[in-house]
Amino acid sequence: MVRKLTLLLSALTVSIAVLAADNQYVLGVDGLACPFCAYGIEKRLNKVDGVTGVQVDVGESVVHVILQEGKTLTEDQARKAVDEAGFTLRSYSKAEGKKGGSNGQ
Amino acid sequence: MGSNRRSVSVLALIGSLLLTGENTAQAAPNTFNTALPVAQGQYLWREQLVLRERSDDGPLDREVSVQALGSVLGYGVTSKFAVFGMVPYFFNKELDVTTPMGRVERDTAGFGDISLFGRYTLYKKDFTGSTFRVAPVFGLTAPTGDDNDSDRFGELPRPLQAGDGAWDVFGGAVVTYQTLQYQVDGQLLYRENGRHDGFARGDETRFDASLQYRIWPRSMKGVPGTPGFVYALLESNLIHRERDDVGSGTDANSGGTQWLLAPGLQYVSRGWIVEGTVQLPVAEDPRGDAIEDDYIVRVGFRRNF
Repeated sequence: MVRKLTLLLSALTVSIAVLAADNQYVLGVDGLACPFCAYGIEKRLNKVDGVTGVQVDVGESVVHVILQEGKTLTEDQARKAVDEAGFTLRSYSKAEGKKGGSNGQ
Repeated sequence: MGSNRRSVSVLALIGSLLLTGENTAQAAPNTFNTALPVAQGQYLWREQLVLRERSDDGPLDREVSVQALGSVLGYGVTSKFAVFGMVPYFFNKELDVTTPMGRVERDTAGFGDISLFGRYTLYKKDFTGSTFRVAPVFGLTAPTGDDNDSDRFGELPRPLQAGDGAWDVFGGAVVTYQTLQYQVDGQLLYRENGRHDGFARGDETRFDASLQYRIWPRSMKGVPGTPGFVYALLESNLIHRERDDVGSGTDANSGGTQWLLAPGLQYVSRGWIVEGTVQLPVAEDPRGDAIEDDYIVRVGFRRNF
């Protein structure tokens, strides 16, 4: 019961934050396999100009990057940040159906 | 007086014979030396409390007890190259031994020798939800610890000192395969110990392996975000030590081979790891009357920042 509530709360928190953000990018990141590793990618992406939030979905190997209105995250910026964190960018897209491009490994 | 001097000599000899192979509170291999990344510009801080008991069944009934704290600071210079510094602090390092004067206790405390090492990720292959990495490790140990502490019997035997007074170098490679469900690490390391004031610890070769299996959450299906993981651990340490050099010869009662197994638990979150293991000897083949491990408890935490 407690576990279900925890999961529900986590899901709600992520969903609300993600839905509230209208300037969001979704990065597929390969090599992510534990929570401790996720911190490095969060820290690195948070240094990118305009980034207000980073949410790592470790189970899906996906990172949601939320930016200020009017700011952009280019694929090169995303790739550099992911590389510097020690991982590999698998895919890159702008949320809300506006694809910013895609680039498999 | 002459008898006392003889007793002190016996104690010094016993100490140097018995504490051979004393392994200080090394950060490795207790799941520290993974090939996993320390992101560029990221720090990693680790504290590990080590409780180690050693003894023998001989007539001297030697017992060695070590309580130490190993502090490690790591920094990601680039995404592939990370540097680490490690220093042990000995709350107590004690030898109890039966002598002609009766049971005698000798001990010391203080900071030990600092180790600095670098790790370079030579090969990595990332997959969705898993990764495979190989990283060579090279480092040195500087003689920063006190190596001439003494008590009422005179100078403590060299292996009982907090530092050994010598520069040591070590190198090897660590391999990691990690998935969302489990992680396997293997480490092969060789340590060449330097000589100081007529004494050198025997060189050491070790092969360490670690399996970490996620036991919570039991499934990642439908689990959003980055939840904390609980892993069950099982580590194996196969260690071979050469004989110590003493004066112009070697100490016949030092060195040998031992195999330790260490079950444990680990809680891993985004910013913290809390972990504990108990290393237990499975097989020991000491040379001569070299002292053997009874158990080593390691508990501690790691912090990302």
